[in-house]
Amino acid sequence: MRVSILAAALAAALAFPLALPAAAQDARRGQALAADICAACHGPEGRSQMPGVPSLAGQPAEFVTMQMILFREGLRAVPVMQQVAQGRSDQEIEDLAAWFASLPPGPPDDRPARNAELLARGQAVAARSNCGVCHLPNFAGRNQIPRLAGQREDFLAQTMAEYRDNRRSGSDTQMNAVMYGMPDADIAALAHFLSQQD
Amino acid sequence: MLRAMLAAGFILAAAPALAQAPAAAPAAPPTGAPADTVMNRNLAPHAPRMTVTPREQLPLAQLRVPDGFQVDVFAHGMPGVRMMTEGPNGTIFAGTRTIGRVYAITANPDGTTRTRIIAQGLTQPNGVAMVGNNLYVIAINRVLRYDNIEANLDNVPAPVELTDGFGLPPDQHHGWKFLTLGPDGRLYTNVGVPCNVCEFDRDRYALLVSFNPDGSGRRIEARGIRNSVGMAHHPVTRELWATNNGRDWVDNDNPQDSLHRIRRSGEDHGFPFCVGTWADPQHNAGRNCSEFQAPAALLGPHVAALGMRFYTGTMFPEQYRNQIFIARRGSWNREPLSGYDVVVAKLDAQGNVTGVEPFLTGFRDDAAQRFTGRPVDVHVMRDGSLLVADEQLGAIYRVTYRR
Repeated sequence: MRVSILAAALAAALAFPLALPAAAQDARRGQALAADICAACHGPEGRSQMPGVPSLAGQPAEFVTMQMILFREGLRAVPVMQQVAQGRSDQEIEDLAAWFASLPPGPPDDRPARNAELLARGQAVAARSNCGVCHLPNFAGRNQIPRLAGQREDFLAQTMAEYRDNRRSGSDTQMNAVMYGMPDADIAALAHFLSQQD
Repeated sequence: MLRAMLAAGFILAAAPALAQAPAAAPAAPPTGAPADTVMNRNLAPHAPRMTVTPREQLPLAQLRVPDGFQVDVFAHGMPGVRMMTEGPNGTIFAGTRTIGRVYAITANPDGTTRTRIIAQGLTQPNGVAMVGNNLYVIAINRVLRYDNIEANLDNVPAPVELTDGFGLPPDQHHGWKFLTLGPDGRLYTNVGVPCNVCEFDRDRYALLVSFNPDGSGRRIEARGIRNSVGMAHHPVTRELWATNNGRDWVDNDNPQDSLHRIRRSGEDHGFPFCVGTWADPQHNAGRNCSEFQAPAALLGPHVAALGMRFYTGTMFPEQYRNQIFIARRGSWNREPLSGYDVVVAKLDAQGNVTGVEPFLTGFRDDAAQRFTGRPVDVHVMRDGSLLVADEQLGAIYRVTYRR
């Protein structure tokens, strides 16, 4: 069992690029694959209308690639995503990432109304936590660091709690460090503030 | 604000360790830009690349070595490849961080190499070392022993779990290990500080430690070494030497990464108070830097000096014998970029470092402020050639010399 997984991973990771000339990531190939395996939950235009599922439109390509690899390698524990990512080649993953990176970002149709009090508190928490250092001052993200602006509020809150509670880490351990000990109320305010950015 | 961050860090460092939950290490305190930094606050770690880089995209044509040396690709297609060790039959084993794999590279009869993934799904399995025929892998605090590994590359048996015996802290931040077997048969590794800079238990973090191979007999080899990810024993004096990564967010030129010579077990090398004569502006705590062991050499600010080996081969010219090759992964917390190369620390007969010289360069483009590869470890093969692992491009290069 273990050996067959290793063999499959090896085939996916090593044999494929050796067998083909270097193919640049291709957003159109990614679009076709996304329609099959991503759109049902993440939305046909990459804007998720489903609670707990993130929007991917406008996410940096390197971020999407990294997360898909963490799913494929069994290092990020979301069973449905591990299943989707299993056996995917690097090229498929980079194609998907190019497609989502090319889509215009935007909020979900069901974005909650602005709550001025929550917004102000969230803004203060964001400033205190230095979110804009890595995610950039407009929270658009860069490289392996995700876009937060306009992301689903429910997903942001859930994800930040996962980092705080060490149920998830990213390409490094920075987010666990930043979220250490943050109260639920601060997380809720931060999620509201970030989801309201455009 | 700063004080609150420090307090959080102290509580964290002092918190009891959760038993062996690989993905559930306690978090470190914030590591981003402090409010009072003079640096560009938008500096952030560079994105790692965890997809396969095709051979034709490796920057071989740009790489430079001294006259008479030559660089070739030894193996490639191994995303995230990091620290290396060699089995008795010549298999190269390599650990990783982000992608959670351990690779094995064997030579084919035609001179090409074959790569296998022999372990995966581990949390930052950076530390690899051979003890006889057995491969040790340390993934943060998990210690795994793969017995008789070279005879079982195609059917890797479940490893022997030695985690409890070693009792390493489970903190992930700066918790990845470099592992080496000493001439005394003990295993030597590092425990980094779980923050950028903070108050912490100085008997538990910022250490070099050694163990018997079963995890018993823990001994502190050096204190006050912030985050070493490279060490080796001098082939003649048998002294332990180690690289160290300095803290972030002071300024572009301070502090420097450093090379440490461990003359006696247990001595204090100064973190977080001092690096040599440099006193930390926030964390010196009134300490006189002369209290501490000074580094044997300074290796440059923010360069990320990682894997190091003494040159014990005979292929290279005599002047390289017993000198130290050091991989510098390259800076993120600095403008402009620095590192991204392999350097040689030159030692005189007394073991004093007389200079640090570039050896393998060409990964860094100063005009464009870009980089291609990131060298993270070196390894001297039995034929005297030098392997260099490039984490960013998932490749291992081989440096040879011809008269």
